[in-house]
Amino acid sequence: MEHLYNPDSQLQLLNAIKDNDSVVLKQLYTTNYYKIEALVLKNNGSKDHAKDVYQEAFITVWKNVKNDRFIPENETALQGYLYQIAKNKWMDILRSPRFKKTKMIQHELNVLDKNIDQNGHEKDEEHEFFRKRLEQTMEAFKNLGAPCKELLTAFYYDKASLRDIANKLKIEENTARTKKYRCMEKLRQLALASKK
Amino acid sequence: MYGKTASVGFSLEKIRTLKNNSNITPELLETIERYHNGSMVQEERIAFEEQLSQDADLKLVVEDIKITLLGIETQALKERMDEFHKEIPENRSVQTSTPKVRFLSFTKIAIAAGIIIALGMFWLLNGSTNDRLYSKHFKPDPGLPTTMSSSDNFVFYDGMVNYKQGDYKKAISKWEKLDKKSPGNDTINYFLGVAYLADKNADEAVSYLNKTIANSESVFLEDALYYLGLAYLKSDRTEAAIQEFQKSKSEKSQEILKDLK
Repeated sequence: MEHLYNPDSQLQLLNAIKDNDSVVLKQLYTTNYYKIEALVLKNNGSKDHAKDVYQEAFITVWKNVKNDRFIPENETALQGYLYQIAKNKWMDILRSPRFKKTKMIQHELNVLDKNIDQNGHEKDEEHEFFRKRLEQTMEAFKNLGAPCKELLTAFYYDKASLRDIANKLKIEENTARTKKYRCMEKLRQLALASKK
Repeated sequence: MYGKTASVGFSLEKIRTLKNNSNITPELLETIERYHNGSMVQEERIAFEEQLSQDADLKLVVEDIKITLLGIETQALKERMDEFHKEIPENRSVQTSTPKVRFLSFTKIAIAAGIIIALGMFWLLNGSTNDRLYSKHFKPDPGLPTTMSSSDNFVFYDGMVNYKQGDYKKAISKWEKLDKKSPGNDTINYFLGVAYLADKNADEAVSYLNKTIANSESVFLEDALYYLGLAYLKSDRTEAAIQEFQKSKSEKSQEILKDLK
């Protein structure tokens, strides 16, 4: 395929994020945290608040990158985006009755993020249903037995090949395939069984 | 209505019933996975999407697997983040660049409407078999050479790559985001129109192409009129089609008019 654009650092970054590249994600995570911490600490928050809000924002960014919802506009666009989302989330918290001090005018920040973030801006039924199912799946996965959890993480998150996984577990590739399938079925059943 | 392929109303009950009645096979699971991670080759993907559009149950399963995969990844990332967090260096450099954020002093982000300049490209379109005339006349557009500067162009190109590969749905989804960002851009409207048309969704095509021709200065005016005519033709609105072809002065339109008489 011909290359129509210059792959600059942002694009490489985006691709690495889509691959869940551990090194890149860790780097992105660790280098951008303090900006948010400083922001939250300066604005009536604690370190725990900072961590929560930052992690939520990080997941949102990761998701939007995966879904091609994020459009880089300059060399540090992604970092700026992460900051912006975290900031918005924190502002939402500040605006909640407990923190409310000043009447806020609905700002026009983050037009991009507006209809896709997790702050409940968009609450149509389908969205709500999707969100709920996702939560159930995450909860089920969190509590899934270690063998299944490790296998599914290796395959779906770290994108390891079945062969590599099989080698690691010292089993046949086909056995790994079957295990993976059974684990998926188990997870899906658990997710569906939770919180009727 | 037809344009929003994704918005099928899902219900938990539906999925549950489905799950109880039919366990999916390992083969189907792997097929769906390949669909989601984009590793299907074009022919297979097109065939699969065709099947999806006809099989509501399959669609539910595909959606369910999608949520499951996202759930696994999201939860895994969540757990990784806690590990990352322990590795944040303690010796924080003084927060030099932390802007003072006061409650009311948000920096306004000017979301400049990115204007996409016309791009050099080729069409690769699947002619439809529905309509003899339509398929006879539905031909590649020669495209225009151009330059790129802003990053919006990246998304535009990115969508163009999908478009050329025949993945019109993906191209459309990317371009629609651009359209939201800079509504009224005739280039985006034009390509959304032709992409919808190539994706056999004449109704959406008509809507976007009409937006394109609303701008009488548009360089796409002639082509848009022509494709608008074709879109009408495809939806059997011959009179409307003739009208558009008559408005267009291009040879292509004249030819098709001859055939229509």
